[in-house]
Amino acid sequence: MLQFVIAGLVLGGIYAIASAGLVITYTSSGILNFAFGAMAFFIARFYYYLHTQESWSIAAAAVVSIVLAAPAMGVVLYFLLFRYLRLSAPLIKVVATIGLLVAIPSLATLAFGNQAIQQAPGLAPEPVAVYQFLGVPVTLDQVIVYACVIVTVVAGALVLRYTEVGLKVRAMVDSPAMTGLSGTNPGAISVGVWAVSTFFAGLVGVLAAPIIGLDSGKFTVLIAASLAAVVAAKLRNLPVAVLVGLAMGVATSLFQRYLPPASQWTTEIIDAVPFMVIALFLVYSLIRGGRVGDNEGWGGVLDRAITPQGESRLAGSASGTVETASVGVVGKYAGPLLLMVVVGALPMIVSGYWVGLFAQAFAYAVIFLSWTIVTGEGGMLWLCQITFAGVGALTTAQLASNHGWPVLAAALVGGLVAMVMGALVGFLSIRLGDLYVALVTLTFGLLMENLVFTLPTFVNQGLGLSVNRPGFATTDLTFTYLSLLVFVVIALFIVNFRRSTTGLALNAARWSEAGARTSGISVVQQKVIAGSLAAFIAGIGGALIAMAQSPFQPAEFATFQGVVWLAIFVTIGVRSNVAALIAGVMFVFPDALFQYYLPSWTTLPEILSVLFGLGAISAAKYPEGALAENSRRLRALLQGFRPARPGGEPPGDLGVPVGVAAVSPAPRISEQVS
Amino acid sequence: MTTAAAPPPSPPPPSSSAGPAVAPADVPPGSAAALAARGVTVRFGGLMALHDVSIEVEPGAIAGLVGPNGAGKSTLLGVLSGLQRPNAGKVWLRGEDVTQASPRARAARGLARTFQQPELFMGLTVREHLVLAYRARTARHRLWRDMFDPRSLLPASRTENDRVDGLLELLRLTRVAKAPVAALPLGVLRLVEVGRALASDPQVLLLDEPLSGLDIKASENLLLVFRQIVDQADPPLSLVIVEHDVAAVLSLSDTVFVLDFGERIAVGTPEQIRNDAAVRAAYLGDSEPAQRATPTSEIPAEAAASGSEPSPSLADLEGRS
Ligand SMILES: Nc1ncnc2c1ncn2[C@@H]1O[C@H](COP(=O)(O)OP(=O)(O)OP(=O)(O)O)[C@@H](O)[C@H]1O
Ligand SMILES: [Mg+2]
Repeated sequence: MLQFVIAGLVLGGIYAIASAGLVITYTSSGILNFAFGAMAFFIARFYYYLHTQESWSIAAAAVVSIVLAAPAMGVVLYFLLFRYLRLSAPLIKVVATIGLLVAIPSLATLAFGNQAIQQAPGLAPEPVAVYQFLGVPVTLDQVIVYACVIVTVVAGALVLRYTEVGLKVRAMVDSPAMTGLSGTNPGAISVGVWAVSTFFAGLVGVLAAPIIGLDSGKFTVLIAASLAAVVAAKLRNLPVAVLVGLAMGVATSLFQRYLPPASQWTTEIIDAVPFMVIALFLVYSLIRGGRVGDNEGWGGVLDRAITPQGESRLAGSASGTVETASVGVVGKYAGPLLLMVVVGALPMIVSGYWVGLFAQAFAYAVIFLSWTIVTGEGGMLWLCQITFAGVGALTTAQLASNHGWPVLAAALVGGLVAMVMGALVGFLSIRLGDLYVALVTLTFGLLMENLVFTLPTFVNQGLGLSVNRPGFATTDLTFTYLSLLVFVVIALFIVNFRRSTTGLALNAARWSEAGARTSGISVVQQKVIAGSLAAFIAGIGGALIAMAQSPFQPAEFATFQGVVWLAIFVTIGVRSNVAALIAGVMFVFPDALFQYYLPSWTTLPEILSVLFGLGAISAAKYPEGALAENSRRLRALLQGFRPARPGGEPPGDLGVPVGVAAVSPAPRISEQVS
Repeated sequence: MTTAAAPPPSPPPPSSSAGPAVAPADVPPGSAAALAARGVTVRFGGLMALHDVSIEVEPGAIAGLVGPNGAGKSTLLGVLSGLQRPNAGKVWLRGEDVTQASPRARAARGLARTFQQPELFMGLTVREHLVLAYRARTARHRLWRDMFDPRSLLPASRTENDRVDGLLELLRLTRVAKAPVAALPLGVLRLVEVGRALASDPQVLLLDEPLSGLDIKASENLLLVFRQIVDQADPPLSLVIVEHDVAAVLSLSDTVFVLDFGERIAVGTPEQIRNDAAVRAAYLGDSEPAQRATPTSEIPAEAAASGSEPSPSLADLEGRS
């Protein structure tokens, strides 16, 4: 028993340090760092490179990687990225860290090579010394973890509570604006916060590597577990985060002790521990009925009072909407239509292998449409659309192949099953705020990936599942057009949705909770509608993918892969249907082209995902995505040649220059963005 | 800005107790009141934002709510609209106890409000705000059913268009009707909020500083609009208006409630309020040496100190009538 508690405290200690790092970063910068695990992995990989590959001594390698390189990474990232995010919307901040989450592991592969590493040494010299503590064997590695936890917690608490720096950090948490006014430089403090945060990441990485292995996927899971502790701590409460982290480690270890070791269930329950913590928290807060807080963003009452309304959540979407309203109907629909026609004609021109790729591209485009609704319209960041796609695909395969259903009916049911899950996840998380949606959907995805997608029926002894295409669309070309048809139907639905009362109400729920609720609109209800619609669409898209590339492996619907999809989609644009189509094509073709023409150049996928990651990061600057930004520039350029704007509105009664807004977005918003 | 440590003003002189609607906290008001609150107390940590405040508005009446910065006016509107849970006290809307009801449920019973900092929907145009509010009240099912209905691409119904366009015209918003609110200045945003609130055909409308940020012409127009809609409304519409422009409030209201440091220090007709010593005390800053008509000896020192920076001067109190 004691032995397992002590062992559990090692994993728990790592969770605790990670959650402490996440909470400190969040409270002092307003950024929930989804890339924490990726950063940890990068530093751990660097340590491995120095210590094992370059044979540096442990001390030298540890100092250079954890004490120097990790904080330096924080400083560099601050100046390149986080500096610009200080006043942006929480959503934008999350997207930027997701971009990092996608880019950093690939950067590590580019920098250090992609060899598989079986065994990573920790900070203890090999062979690892073993001590006896209360009759329980404890390795030096474990002792180091305990020491780090204690030092971290004690030092963190002391610094925050008793030093001037701590006072300033706490002041900034309450009000970055006021801290700025009072002569303290929030920038200088933020640099420090990021250096500390990445230092924690490095420490976690090096400590965790011997336990979980040097695998970026494992690190993401590790951090997802720490995020569970952060959720339980309501994002801000450092002691709770640390305690829950420790408790999760111990619980995991005790499950290992008391559940039958050989059973499939045991591993599954162990994998589910973080999710159980989140589920408990969600149910608890549901029963308590309290909202965790409407303004999860950042800053106190004061900051909300002095920042312009909507700004903190808005960050830029206004430029897009201003534009839409001022461009005539023809200008609004001609471009997208033309593009759709061109893309739609391409499968006729190409042949063989490439036609099949178009089928896949359109299927992905359908999945991306789910983000058009939930992120583009609803302003929420759902990180488990790929999971819904997987649910759609698996349900379709089960019903069609094992139960003899017509495949299209099976796909419909697949979509519906995903929709029910989406409604449930949405209902539990949306009430708590936008950041919780991102957190909960991420953990939900990981849970499904580890628990459900690995079930023997789905894995099918590694053969995967296959789905027959509908009888009238068995060839690649016909199936491609079937996929395109599905895409067009859903796209038209979204066009209608936006203009409908439902779309207006969703918009209301997105931009102002108080305004929506006092106008008689339920925020949760509208957002749950959007979330479940999106889940349905993703489920349908998943069914199409299953048909397009049958047989498929359930493992293809891994949550991290879904994050890469999101990065691509965000890069291109979250608000338009055409962007979804382009994103689908972009996702499938560059990779395929490189593999086809340059089969030996193995690092290209890495370069691609670095690019996609950077693209998502650029969302900090262009929240509307590349497509909207470029077409805005194009229009601005075209308008430069026109002496007057014939279609524009006359200036308003109160001297409002409505027409001008088309070219330069509302200044107070754009200032905050750039 | 205010602190919990600040002493409450000394007992009000006789004139303030002469006002109407003074009743024990737990007795429900007559069902005649459009909106009533009794014994409302709100604490933010150690700060007593409201202490045992009661307010009552008759159908078709206009109630003014004034007080210095931080007096608790916005907090009281929050309690009335359901966004702020009170620590104690009850709220009745058209005779029904709505203390536990959500803001949405209150909206469905005919309550609407505007905000001191506009709470608008940045993705929507001015007109869409009104359309949405109208439908949320009159055709609630459309909030979820419309997405399946391709007819939402077609023109809306006559009654809806008449109502919405009429309101836009009334508030002089017609020319910016198609503009997204993200591009509009603060003054216009306030009008959009008023329009959105009115589009839901409320029976009680709470206004939090609707005139601030408006130029003189626009605010005179808005005052006229308030008068007009209250006079013409059927069923009757009651207003609760929070405003720093005390002269405007006194000229518009039937009853005026005065808050200071979370306490209701006076209530009465505009005439009574104008002559109320406690109110004068709360509003008299040290920087008003010209106003010595009131004997200073009557003013309790600590209450006099509470009038913080942009308090209206006594001239406002005596200005219009
Ligand atoms: N959410 C909150 N948390 C903590 N304190 C609050 C909160 N909201 C208001 N307060 C405090 O409660 C007091 C009353 O605030 P309130 O906004 O109701 O005043 P007000 O009368 O509307 O002032 P103003 O005229 O400046 O709008 C103030 O001291 C304010 O700082
Ligand atoms: Mg106020």
